[in-house]
Amino acid sequence: MFETLFPILFLVGVAAFIAVAMAGASIVFGRRTSEGAKYEPYESGIKPKGDTRGRFPVKFYLIAVLFILFDIEVVFLYPWAVIYQKLGMFGFVEILVFIVILLIGYFYILGKGALKWE
Amino acid sequence: MPDYNLRLIIPEIFLFLWALFIIAFDLGTKRKNPKLIGYLTMGGIAATAVLLYLYHGGISFNNMFKSDPLALFFKVIFLGSAFMAVGSSFDIIAQKIKNHRGEFFGLVLFSTVGMMFLASAGELISLYIGLELTTIPLFILAAYYKDDRISVEAGLKYLVIGAFSSAILLYGLSLLYGLSGTTDIVMMKINLALLYLNTNGIGWALLMAIVMVLAGIGFKLALVPFHMWAPDVYQGAPTPITALLSVGSKAAGVVAFMRIFIDGLYGFADAVMFPLDWGNIVAVLAAAAMILGNISALRQKNIKRMLAYSSIAQIGYVMVGMVAVSELGVGSVGYYMFIYLFANMGAFAVATIFNDNTGSDSIASYAGLSKSSPMISAFMAIFLLSLAGIPPLAGFAAKFFVFAAGIQAGYTWLVILALLTAVVSLYYYANVIKMMYFAPDNPTIKLNTPLSANIVLIIGVAGLIIFGVYPEPILNFALDTARVFGF
Amino acid sequence: MLDLIIFYFAAVIAVGAAVMMIMQRNPVASVLYLVVSLVAQAILYVQLNALFVGALLIIIYTGAILVLFLFVIMLLNLRGEHFGGKQSRMGRASKIAITVILFAEMVAIFKQVAIPERIGTQAAAVAEDFGSVEMVASHLFKEYLYPFELTSILLLVAIVGAVVLAKRDKTEKMEDA
Repeated sequence: MFETLFPILFLVGVAAFIAVAMAGASIVFGRRTSEGAKYEPYESGIKPKGDTRGRFPVKFYLIAVLFILFDIEVVFLYPWAVIYQKLGMFGFVEILVFIVILLIGYFYILGKGALKWE
Repeated sequence: MPDYNLRLIIPEIFLFLWALFIIAFDLGTKRKNPKLIGYLTMGGIAATAVLLYLYHGGISFNNMFKSDPLALFFKVIFLGSAFMAVGSSFDIIAQKIKNHRGEFFGLVLFSTVGMMFLASAGELISLYIGLELTTIPLFILAAYYKDDRISVEAGLKYLVIGAFSSAILLYGLSLLYGLSGTTDIVMMKINLALLYLNTNGIGWALLMAIVMVLAGIGFKLALVPFHMWAPDVYQGAPTPITALLSVGSKAAGVVAFMRIFIDGLYGFADAVMFPLDWGNIVAVLAAAAMILGNISALRQKNIKRMLAYSSIAQIGYVMVGMVAVSELGVGSVGYYMFIYLFANMGAFAVATIFNDNTGSDSIASYAGLSKSSPMISAFMAIFLLSLAGIPPLAGFAAKFFVFAAGIQAGYTWLVILALLTAVVSLYYYANVIKMMYFAPDNPTIKLNTPLSANIVLIIGVAGLIIFGVYPEPILNFALDTARVFGF
Repeated sequence: MLDLIIFYFAAVIAVGAAVMMIMQRNPVASVLYLVVSLVAQAILYVQLNALFVGALLIIIYTGAILVLFLFVIMLLNLRGEHFGGKQSRMGRASKIAITVILFAEMVAIFKQVAIPERIGTQAAAVAEDFGSVEMVASHLFKEYLYPFELTSILLLVAIVGAVVLAKRDKTEKMEDA
């Protein structure tokens, strides 16, 4: 258990170290000033007008949803890839059916022009 | 390599491919032929029924897909409701849906495929995926008038409630899996009984599983107290979709209920199992559904809302047969749903036609309809009287068998309540008829019906009269489905 | 011992972040708390030997679905102030009541089901590599082949649905004009 997870834990440790080190270094070595301009989203440049949280058009959403659906499809491929040699031809046909059905979905998206940026 | 017996799922595969074909055809012909794709869809459904007749009987995929009489019986109901929903939506497609016409029919077919997979599920995961495949297309279809606020509201409400209830159902199913160690329903029945006998500590966990599964399926069935979404969704969705929701998706919920409760939790229906006796819990919910549905329907001014509350009450009557957990109980529920298909699809078809011609859903606007459109008024009267359970229409026989099953199982109080509320229901059904026939003449509009809608109306009326006068074949078929549960 | 410490650490974070999530008035902050909660839950899954589920929780939920949540929040431009004033006392009381009932039921279940010797038998019944990717895969692709294929139909329907609901065709504008 621990052995299999060690690489991941190591990676997490390295990531945490880098993050802490960077933030810590700027605290230790940095010079601190506190002027009004420091607290604005963009310190140097034009004064911000309004809010950063504008409304998104729905087309962004469509792309995101389609991405997630194919992402979920890919998730099924991971376990398949792990035991693909044990499954042999049977597993190949199985995953082929799965992918072909989703490929129909992909062609549908293309046919509808849902990926066109209007 | 195990025998997968793929032959048995040919009808489902065909219908799925047909749905793809409809979408592709519409895409390829640039939405020029709404009528043609409508008829193609109806043809595809009819062809699926033929395939179902040719390929049924047996199990495949290690008991996960069961092509037994119960599945066959309910698949006929699903196909019938899809057929009639498609048939009554031609004018809507032509007038209101400029875009995505093929997808409208395609999604109806996808939902029907989901119902068919659900009816055949012998295992919890397939059952859950079948249920999702049934409801996800319906979320989209409910919101199909994208520019109409109340349609979008209907879709959103249905989505939120549907997702929420799925989560509850899934939690309940996972508890069942945790207790029994299997997802196979028949194995689950055995394991749960053994566990119950061998350990005396599963009471609360099983109770929670039962309540969660009941709540999850209760939402799909619009059983009180899980009904609050139904009136708004029924009102906002395109009317043929409302009809499909009220018949097809409800019948799917009924069959899911049967598979899980009557089969998997068979041992726990009895009052002896207190507090695990789901029979009594369901009986109380059925009573609440009949009272609340019928009384709320009295006050409705909108025909779709009225039919929504009426369908809440109707599911209460269905549950009277369900709690009997007997041959007659299962058979009468099947028969009831079969008759309900004709009556409710018919009534919604008339509401669709009326709305297409007048743009109104209010009951008051039906005033004087019998003068301008005597045929359609007569049909509507037959549908409503059958829903109310007036002999010699089939609705009477359906109620009769359900109540008989209830009395046989000792739920006399529930049947008395059902009879009383049935009398109340007569009032609001008759109110529409009174409007059509006896209201002082309004400026009336002649209703134009497309051919396909006429076919739907004729199927509905013919079904109600034929199976009302001569119920034996369908009743025998329905009673035969009870064999699945070993009754 | 280390296992127990990790468990309590992750469990407290998971529950605490979930509570914080529903307390927020700013929906973006809610989503971020949900991310924290899900990561902590992933740790719990890994502790249960369910490596695959833990990884899925990170890849799918925190990686993709929560990004979509943020999208939707920005799409609708939701702010705290859009959620109206305070809830009615009845609404709040009923929510608390339901939560308490559910919690009591959970406690009752665990008191009945999870007595130590039975936990022992359950753990023995489950093989060492029960939640590993290989085991999940061989269940999924052998026994549960049928629901697996159905999933692809479900995803296809979701694709069609997303396009139907979110796509505005040019033809629509032309026909409307």
